[in-house]
Amino acid sequence: MRKLLPPAGNQQKLIYKICNLLIPLFLILGQTTYAQTNVQVQGTIIDSTGEPLPGVNVVIKGTLTGTVSDLYGKYNLSAPSDATLVFSFVGFTNQEIPINNQTEINLTLADDTSDLDEFVVVGYGLQRKSDLTGSISSIKSKEINRLPVSNVTQALQGRVSGVQVTSLSGAPGAGTTIRIRGVGTLNNSNPLFVVDGMLLDDIDFLNPNDVESMEVLKDASATAIYGSRGANGVVIVSTKQGSFNTKGRISVDTYTGIQQVADRIDLVNGRQFAELANELEQNIGNRPLYNVGDYGVGTDWQDQIFRNAPVSSVNLGASGGNANTSYSLSVNYFNQKGVVKESEFERLTVRLNNQYKFGEAVTFGHNFSFIYTNQQNEPGVVGNAYRAYPIFDPRNPDGSYTNTTPVGNPAAQFEYNSNNQSNNYRSVGNFFMDVKFLKNFTFRSNFGLDLSFNDGKSFTPVFFVSPTQQNFENSVSVNAGRNRNILWENTVNYTKEWDNHRLDLLGGITTQSFYQEFLSGGRRNLPGEDPSLWYLNAGELTSQTNSNSAGDWSMLSFLFRVNYTFRDKFLVTGTFRRDGSSRFGRESRFGNFPSIALGYRLIEESFLQDQSVLSELKIRGSWGIIGNDKIAFYEGRPVVTGNENAVFGENEALIYGATLTRLANPFIQWEETVTSNIGLEFGFFDNKLSGELDYYYRRTNDILVGVPIPAYVGSSNNPVVNAASVENRGIDLSLNWREQKGDFGYYFGIVASTVNNKVLAIGEGNEAIFGGAVGISGLLGSRTIIGESIGHYYGYKTAGVFQNEEQLANTPRRGPEGAGDLIFEDTNGDGVVNSKDRVILGSPIPDLVYGFNIGFDYKGFDFSVDFNGTIGNEIYNSKKQVRFNTYNFETSFLDRWTGEGTSNVEPRVTNGGHNYEVSDRFIEDGSFLRLRNVQIGYSFPKVALDRVKLQSFRIYVSGTNLFTMTNYTGYTPEIGGGNVLGTGYDSSLYPIARTFNVGVSANF
Amino acid sequence: MKSAIKNRILTFTLSLTVFGGLFSCGEDFLEKAPKGELTSDNFFLDATQAKQSVNAIYAHLRSFNVHVFSYVGITDIASDDADKGSVPGDAGFLQDINDFTFDANNTAVNGVWRGYYQGIFRANQVLANVPNIEMNEELKTRLLGEARFLRAYFYFFLVRTYGDIPLIERPLNPDEYRQSRVPKAEIYNFIEEDLNFAIANLPEKSEYASTELGRATSGAAKAYLAKVHLFQNDFQSAFQMAEELINSGEYGLYPDYEAIFRREGEHSSESIFEVSTVALEQGGGGSQFNEVQGIRGNPNNGWGFNNPSDDLIAAYEENDPRLGATIIFNTDTLSTGEVVIADPNMGSSARFSKKAWIPIRPPIGFGNSGANIRLFRYADLLLIAAEAANELGNSTGALNYLNQVRERARKGNPDVLPDVTSTNQAELRNAIWHERRVELAMEQHRYLDLVRQGQAQSVFAELGINWIPGKHEVFPIPQAEIDISGGTLSQNPGY
Repeated sequence: MRKLLPPAGNQQKLIYKICNLLIPLFLILGQTTYAQTNVQVQGTIIDSTGEPLPGVNVVIKGTLTGTVSDLYGKYNLSAPSDATLVFSFVGFTNQEIPINNQTEINLTLADDTSDLDEFVVVGYGLQRKSDLTGSISSIKSKEINRLPVSNVTQALQGRVSGVQVTSLSGAPGAGTTIRIRGVGTLNNSNPLFVVDGMLLDDIDFLNPNDVESMEVLKDASATAIYGSRGANGVVIVSTKQGSFNTKGRISVDTYTGIQQVADRIDLVNGRQFAELANELEQNIGNRPLYNVGDYGVGTDWQDQIFRNAPVSSVNLGASGGNANTSYSLSVNYFNQKGVVKESEFERLTVRLNNQYKFGEAVTFGHNFSFIYTNQQNEPGVVGNAYRAYPIFDPRNPDGSYTNTTPVGNPAAQFEYNSNNQSNNYRSVGNFFMDVKFLKNFTFRSNFGLDLSFNDGKSFTPVFFVSPTQQNFENSVSVNAGRNRNILWENTVNYTKEWDNHRLDLLGGITTQSFYQEFLSGGRRNLPGEDPSLWYLNAGELTSQTNSNSAGDWSMLSFLFRVNYTFRDKFLVTGTFRRDGSSRFGRESRFGNFPSIALGYRLIEESFLQDQSVLSELKIRGSWGIIGNDKIAFYEGRPVVTGNENAVFGENEALIYGATLTRLANPFIQWEETVTSNIGLEFGFFDNKLSGELDYYYRRTNDILVGVPIPAYVGSSNNPVVNAASVENRGIDLSLNWREQKGDFGYYFGIVASTVNNKVLAIGEGNEAIFGGAVGISGLLGSRTIIGESIGHYYGYKTAGVFQNEEQLANTPRRGPEGAGDLIFEDTNGDGVVNSKDRVILGSPIPDLVYGFNIGFDYKGFDFSVDFNGTIGNEIYNSKKQVRFNTYNFETSFLDRWTGEGTSNVEPRVTNGGHNYEVSDRFIEDGSFLRLRNVQIGYSFPKVALDRVKLQSFRIYVSGTNLFTMTNYTGYTPEIGGGNVLGTGYDSSLYPIARTFNVGVSANF
Repeated sequence: MKSAIKNRILTFTLSLTVFGGLFSCGEDFLEKAPKGELTSDNFFLDATQAKQSVNAIYAHLRSFNVHVFSYVGITDIASDDADKGSVPGDAGFLQDINDFTFDANNTAVNGVWRGYYQGIFRANQVLANVPNIEMNEELKTRLLGEARFLRAYFYFFLVRTYGDIPLIERPLNPDEYRQSRVPKAEIYNFIEEDLNFAIANLPEKSEYASTELGRATSGAAKAYLAKVHLFQNDFQSAFQMAEELINSGEYGLYPDYEAIFRREGEHSSESIFEVSTVALEQGGGGSQFNEVQGIRGNPNNGWGFNNPSDDLIAAYEENDPRLGATIIFNTDTLSTGEVVIADPNMGSSARFSKKAWIPIRPPIGFGNSGANIRLFRYADLLLIAAEAANELGNSTGALNYLNQVRERARKGNPDVLPDVTSTNQAELRNAIWHERRVELAMEQHRYLDLVRQGQAQSVFAELGINWIPGKHEVFPIPQAEIDISGGTLSQNPGY
């Protein structure tokens, strides 16, 4: 009995509430069905400090009848005189007290440090942690809120095994790339996000303060309930809820901090540049251009574009509830200026999570948020600051901007190209209704929506800086878009406990529909440049352009799951899901996705009962098939390309043209991932040391891939077929140590994951798929072939530098090399160096992703530090390779070859040509260890707070991204984004910032 | 308790209706069609769509791979007329074309192949689908004629560039994607069939409404047929076809040579076939043909490729006014008053094509150029007639046409470009070859002419370029194509 009901807690989850509603419901129903001698029992429940405990479950053992203690810890119920009452509450040890005809039973509940009865959010429900057969990792509010970032996914870095989170860029408001257990497909490998039951593709909008917990579902058993959406893993987010029968509480959380660029790139100074540039000219047969003596240090262009920038956040929350209503309201304002000038992000979030009880069986609730964001992006100066010559000043003596050809003058860009802003208005939420009927059934209808509108405007004035950096006509462009994502789910849940059995059945139907539309317009030649004129009507009619496009998709699914536990020892979970998606053709619209999982809790065996070393030991295994439908919306249709316009007539009129230019495959269907997982969960010394170890194997088949067809067929694309196959396997480990010695508590945690990624098939006719275009030159640096990982770097291996003519004559080479050029290795030994000598140079997929954190608390002080990093991944430094012209140089050029014997590593100075072929010259080690966060805080003691009527008050200082150990020479070793076939390319990314902030957190 | 039972019944029925409702709307719910776009289900249904599909073939003529970057590379930069241009390091693949150090992976080789076969795809779509449309038969035949002319144009360039190539006559089914190469004689037959159909079914240039100026004409088809014969060394047929067209009176030389390449010279009497473009305020009708060859530096008109060579300058006769109409030198003052200062990185021999120069900056930029791309001029036709006549021993006819071209070029100045009088076949041949070179310089004819005329080996040997006979008469089939074909496609010898 004690294990049936999820005990209520201080920050109660939604479903806790529902289960708690069972008690009063059946109290009423129960009164008609039980006809025995009853007594009225009442009493007060307090905790070890003497404080009354509201919300404690008081249940008649063997039934579902019971009640909940009120605000003062008092309870009152009618029960058979010979029954036993069970008292339970999360965080406290349960107690069972036989009534024995007593009419008053008071008790004290003791703290329970074990979290075995902890509940974990799974897909479409809650499950006891001990009952889990799937691989799920959980991270709580406190850990999510320790970082001063706009995006909650950043909090997952280094905290969850099996998950690699990479920032897309350091720009304010930028998102992340999340990979759960490797790269699952050649296409979209992003996981599914579920926020309070609403299925989404991103959680960039979430206010970190609103998040109660995040669960990452990694294996088939956990994700199969999401069928076609779950192939790349699922991240479930639960937002903070109010609680019934709780006094209203107000919380204030605020922090403010300063950010600075964490690491700069080492570029040469003015004089060094002049030297190198002269040498370059001489190397191509021209005369030197500069008088080196004229130049000194020159301009540090990185200084010109970077600044220290503030970041701050203010969060106000109120929550509480009475017997029939619970509420949680929060308002958050977040503002982050970027460390590159003219970039900024601000966000206002309002959230209202309420629940209402109607009668005994019906609960209605909503989790509703409204978000407004405003974003300004920097005008593309990072790349120009990397390339601009240090011998130029930002401005000429007369105040005008210097002509910094061959790149744009970054200082001028700030003035002329920064007039662009975008706004986004979004609301994400869900409305649900729970109805309990027939004793063990719950019907739940959940309506989720994600609506957003965005608009943007940009204006470019007339300006002249140089012939390549000028604008002849001013122009304004506006854009607007909207997204509508609607979900409707209906599920029925049946739970029953009897004897040693526990059964949970779930069945349901869900539908989802998505629509988005884009609209944009532009005009030129406004009569003036004042912001009051930045509207299309002010521009010339003849210059107007416009565009409007839209897309949509829909899904219909049937789901079923059974969870069975026997004696708390044997666990079985089975799920089945049938999904239909509009993205596929009529013949292949639906897919079936089953999974099965078993668990065995050895700790419940008799031979492990009487010992104090092992506190938990469970083996679990799962197998399942899940699908991926993240392909283009209308992949199977051959679409007519319009606006292929011809010009005819003396008046040169543009005449509309359209035709089929592409081929399509009408037989497209789901990508399928078959995954199996074996896991061991263990706990020692009363769970002081706990951990999980998993081995997983995922194989994705029918991956959609463009199978190349010959160009003479004449299609402008390769039709997409389900033909590729990829395998990922690895080990996930997480370990935690937590101990409390009197007033001193400390903890240590480590997570580590390995990924072994291999391509098994890439479609007939594909010998290799190349990707990763480096600049406009069209060189491709990545390759995907059978037997190797996706998107590994592929190019020449360097073996030194040619020193003299003799070496040139005697070493196999490509042909155009001269003395001072790189030697490429003749890897196949055929005496010639050509494209057949290219080899695998590295991979953007790390061998190991890890993180560890340490912390302690003592008498109100708390300290924590966490690290994260990767080992074994490489980065392609593509910004160094793309040289259409003479640009500034990294200091690595200072070691260049200038004559025989001067260098065997760095070739002579040139732009383009032989030394800029795809080779390991541009591949660098991307392994890193980053000190992600250090935080020191102090919570004032209760005694001091009582005087000012505060419940709690904590102040803290924290530093983020303080220090990164890496061999990579760019701004950051985290290079996210890009298509998986060509990822890991650093082409002038916005740098990561180091932040110092102070914060305060108070509860009234 | 009644309420409890009522409750149960209520919720039960509610869930039934919900489930039931979802089932019934299931099928339609999952049908989604693309927004703002037609699919093959609702295209090729009426005359309007038939016209649109033909217009789309013309649109393709303005595209990058067909008549811009790689095209200029293979025809001019490869030849002795021009060097790569722009700054060292820029577009290295074109340097390889210039030096004949390219391999089968070369970007230009790939680009041309891809672009021209995509044009053939569009033409085949029309030829496969338009016949089934119920519409005015005369218009339908004309549209089919235009598609066949354009298909022949695409194949003509491909066969001269690559030699034996796959012959695709209609849209292929997936099981037909593996094709092998067809001997070029067969390709030429195919081209001639298409051109003959076009000749028979297209209106003359003068018969078109003025709003249709720019479409394929029967005259253009005849002109290309003459050239096709010349490239097969069938001088008799070439001469006959050329003379027929010359005598038709549809075309004539434009009096001002330099103005041919300005706005006033677009679709002039001299124009047999050109790609129409227009520089609109909002874009969408231009091409980058002029941008890639535009002056690099000051005025900043473009990328600076296709640099007229020392050899070309030396080829002009003394005081030939066509030199000034063809080449822009560094430090020249243009007719707009601008002084040309080439990008210093281009080196001392920086020059640009005057024929690709546009005096006024188009709206949006030089990538939105409205300057038409001249493909076939009347002067070209005259020289074809002259060359063919001479090969047949008809020196009178040859001299007549040759001197017409020189007469126009000298612009009434008796002291330059004297008439050619020699009747010696070898001398006359050289004179005609020379005239072709200087008349059509920087107009993307030279390299293909060099190969046809058999001069390539000696010309390049003198320039110190390693042009290998038996190999370099054709460009390689793109390596990617050979790889994908799985063995059905063979490579040209030597690559």
